[in-house]
Amino acid sequence: MSRLSRRPVPLAVATAAVLLAAACGSGSGSGGSTSSAGKPVSGGSLTYAVDTEPVSWDIDVSQQDITGSIQRNVFDSLVHQDDKGQFHAWLASSWTVAKDLRTYTFHLRKDVTFTDGTPFDAQAVKANFDRIVDPATKSQYAAGLLGPYTGTKVVDPYTVQVTFSKAFAPFLQAASTPYLGFYSPAAIAKYGSKLGAGGPADVGTGPFVFSSYTKGQSAVLTRNPKYRWAPSTDAHQGPAYLDKLTYRFLSQDSVRVGALRSGQVQVAKSIPPTDVKTLTPGAGLTVISKQAPGGVYNLVLNASRGPFTDQRVRQAVQRGINVDADVKSVYFGAYQRAWSPLSPATLGYDSSLTGTWPYDPTLAAKLLDQAGWSTRDSAGYRTKNGKRLSLVWPLMPQNLVSQQHDILGQAVQADLKKLGIQVERPRQDVGTFVKQLFGGKDDISDYSWSRADPDVLRLYFNSAETPAKGGANGTFIKDADLDRWTEQGQTTLDPAGRARYYTQVQKRAVDLSLVVPMYVVSSVYGASSHVHGIAADANTWLEFHDAWLGK
Amino acid sequence: MKATHLLRAVARRVAAAVAVLLGAATVAFAALQLIPGDPVTTMLGPFSSASPEVRDRIRAQYGLGEPVWQQYLHYLSHLLRGDLGESYQVQRPVSSLISGQLAPTAQLALAALAVALLLAVLSATATAGRRPVLRGAASLLELLTVSSPSYWTGILLLTVFSFHWQLFPVAGAQNGTALVLPALTLALPMTGVLAQVLREGLETALHEPFAVTARSRGLSTTAVRLRHALRHAALPLITLTGWLAGSLLGGAVLVETVFGRPGIGALILQATTNKDMPLAIGLVLLSALVFVVLSTLVDLLYLVIDPRLRTDQVTP
Repeated sequence: MSRLSRRPVPLAVATAAVLLAAACGSGSGSGGSTSSAGKPVSGGSLTYAVDTEPVSWDIDVSQQDITGSIQRNVFDSLVHQDDKGQFHAWLASSWTVAKDLRTYTFHLRKDVTFTDGTPFDAQAVKANFDRIVDPATKSQYAAGLLGPYTGTKVVDPYTVQVTFSKAFAPFLQAASTPYLGFYSPAAIAKYGSKLGAGGPADVGTGPFVFSSYTKGQSAVLTRNPKYRWAPSTDAHQGPAYLDKLTYRFLSQDSVRVGALRSGQVQVAKSIPPTDVKTLTPGAGLTVISKQAPGGVYNLVLNASRGPFTDQRVRQAVQRGINVDADVKSVYFGAYQRAWSPLSPATLGYDSSLTGTWPYDPTLAAKLLDQAGWSTRDSAGYRTKNGKRLSLVWPLMPQNLVSQQHDILGQAVQADLKKLGIQVERPRQDVGTFVKQLFGGKDDISDYSWSRADPDVLRLYFNSAETPAKGGANGTFIKDADLDRWTEQGQTTLDPAGRARYYTQVQKRAVDLSLVVPMYVVSSVYGASSHVHGIAADANTWLEFHDAWLGK
Repeated sequence: MKATHLLRAVARRVAAAVAVLLGAATVAFAALQLIPGDPVTTMLGPFSSASPEVRDRIRAQYGLGEPVWQQYLHYLSHLLRGDLGESYQVQRPVSSLISGQLAPTAQLALAALAVALLLAVLSATATAGRRPVLRGAASLLELLTVSSPSYWTGILLLTVFSFHWQLFPVAGAQNGTALVLPALTLALPMTGVLAQVLREGLETALHEPFAVTARSRGLSTTAVRLRHALRHAALPLITLTGWLAGSLLGGAVLVETVFGRPGIGALILQATTNKDMPLAIGLVLLSALVFVVLSTLVDLLYLVIDPRLRTDQVTP
C-alpha cells in the first residue's frame, strides 16, 4: 500500500516519491529537525528545492510521495500521527473505535473552515471519502488506504461513522495521511477531475493556500491567515509564520546542493551521501536526517523458481553478501545497514535480529556444497548436474534507478561471484521489467516500501499480495505463518499486540532467507542555519507550519 | 512567378506538411504500441497499489482494450478534427497543456539560436584562414562544446556563474537574467557545429576569384569577409541552422530539467516516463510541425540569399 520512491527508494516509474520516517537514530547528520531556539518571528518567504514533481496534484488520485508531501501544507486530516507513531486530535477532536474494528466514529471540530469559506463538517468528510472510492476517480493510492471501506455515515453535522466490511486496524494511520485529507466539497463539485492540475482550485483547510503552479518550475503556497486548528503536537496552533513557501523542482542533485550553498534556496531535499559531510554549521548549513518507516531497501528472493526453491541456496546468498562493507562503501556511512526487512522507525521493529545473520562466506560455501552446487565450470561458477548457478536480477531503465542502487548491485554481484554464483543483470525497459516481475520470472527483486505502519510487512510477505495485484510480495511463496500473522496484525489496535505479530513476521522472513535487508532508507535534507522550526513528520516529510526564518 | 504558380506551390507545400504530420502521428502511434508491456501498468509503475478494478477502469476509459486498428482509427478521426485528446495522467486537454508550456521553451530556443549564430559568425569570421594556432585553438574549443553533454555544461556554468559568483539565479524563468545560463548551455554545442561549417565555407569562398577581385578593388580583408564571403558561406549554415533548430526541442528537455525551467521539456519527460500516450503523440506532432515550418523557412531564405536559385533549379 505505498509507493516507492524514485530517489530514496528504488522503483518508481509513474511514481516518484520520498521517504519517510519516524523518529529513531539516524545514519548521520543531525536529528530530524532544525533548532527552534528563540522566539519565532512571523513573515518572510522560504524556498525549498525538491527533486521530483507531482504528475497529478489530486490527493485522492496520486500515488506519489511528492504530491502528499507538498499537499500536506494545504490539506489537513482527521487525526495526526506523531513521529513516535501515536495519534492525536486534529480535524477530529476525538474518536472511538468499535470492538470489532469495523466502525470508526469521529467527532469533528466545529470551528474549521475551508479557505473558500465553506465550513468543514461531517458532509465534507463523506463527500471526500466517497469520491475516493468512486471508480470514476481512478484512485491509485487513497482507495487502497481505505481498504475494505463500505461507507461514511453522517450521524449529525459534526459526527461521522466510517465503516468497513472487516476489521481494519490500519485505518487510523491511513486517516492521518494527506491522501485522506479533505477538499472543499464546493471545489470537488466545481472542478472534479480537474483537481489534478493543482493551483488555486485545490482548496483545503490547511495552514497554506495553493496560490500558483508553474509546471517544470515551481509551486507557490501562501499563508492561510485564518488557520487555528493545528494538531496539538505542533509548537503553535495559529497561522503559519511564513508568508510564502515556494517549492522549486530541481531534479539534479548537484544543482540542488549548489542552490542551497549559494543561498538561493533555504532548504533542499535528497542531499546525496557524498555531500552530507560538507553541509556544516561553519558553512551556515545543517543536515536533517530521518529514517523512513516501513520496508527497508530489501533484496527480495523469489523462492518459487530455480535454485531459490532450495532454502540453503537462499541462505547462502543472504550470508554471502557483505552488506556492511557494501553499504558503507557506496553511501559513505550516510545510511545505516539493515538487519530486518522492517525499518527501526516503525512500530514493532524487531531489534533482536541485529547481528543474527552476519557475513559468513565460509558458511555460505558450505551451504551451497550441501545443496549440491559443488562442482565448478571453466568460468569458476558453481554447477549442479551440468547447470550453472545463475540468478536473474533485472535492472530498471536508467532513468528510474535511484540511490545508486545499480552501484550497490555491482558490489553484491562481486560478493556472490566470489562464492561461485553468477548474477545476471539485464537492463530492461519498464514494460518488460513489469511483465517479468509480475510473472514471478526474476530470481531477485529489490525495493523499499515506505509507510508509517508495520502493515507494510503484509505487502512483502502475505501470499495474496502479489505485485500484479498491487502488493509487493516478490518472494512468491505461500507460508501459512506469514499469511496468518500479517492478517492478524490488522485485527488489533493494541500496539503491543500488533508488535508481537510483526516481530514474528520479521524473524520468520529472515529465518526462511526470503529477504536480504540492505540498508535503512533515510530522508536527508539540507537547510540554511537561519531556518528554524522545520521537522520531519512520521513520513519523514518536512512540516512547515511551525517554520520561521531567523537572522 | 504567376499567381496560379504561386498558389499551386503553396498548395503543394501545405499538402506535404499535412502528409508529414499524419506520418509522424502514425509513426508515434505505432512506436507507442510497440513499447512492451501493458500500457496501464507502465502508466502506474511496477509498484503501484492501484487495484485491478482501477486498472480495468483506466483501460476502458482510454479504449486500450480495443483492437489496435480500432484504436488507431479512433485516434485518427479525433486528430483530423483537431482534437489531441486528454492527457492520461493529468486529465487535461493535451492542446492546453502544450500551449501553456510553449512560451518559455520558444523563448529559450530562440535566445539559444540567436546566441549560437552570433557566436559562430564571430568565431568563424575572426579565425577563418588566419594563423593556424588561432584557428586551431578556436576549432578545439568548438569541438569541446559540441562533445560536452549539455547537462554537464549547464551544471558547470551554474557552478561558476550562479553558485560561486552569484550573477545569475539558479533556476526558473521569472525574468531575463534567468534565461542567460540556460540559453548559453543550449547554444554552445550548436555554436561549435555552426562555426566549424561556416569556417570551412568562408575559407572556400576566400579562395574564389571574386574574393581576389574584391581585394584588388581595395576592400579590406574584413570587408571582403563580411560582405562577400559570408554570403556565400551562409547557405549551408542556413540549412544546418534549420535542422539544428528542430533538434533544439530535444536539447531543451535536458536544459529545462537542469535549470528547473517551465516548458515543453518538462512535458516531454513526463509523457515519456509515464507512457502518457495522448500527450506523447501531441508532442511528436508539435516537433513535426516545427520541422515542417523550419524547412519551409529555410527554402524561402535560400531564395532571398541566392538570386541564382530563383530561376534555375540549382541545388546548393
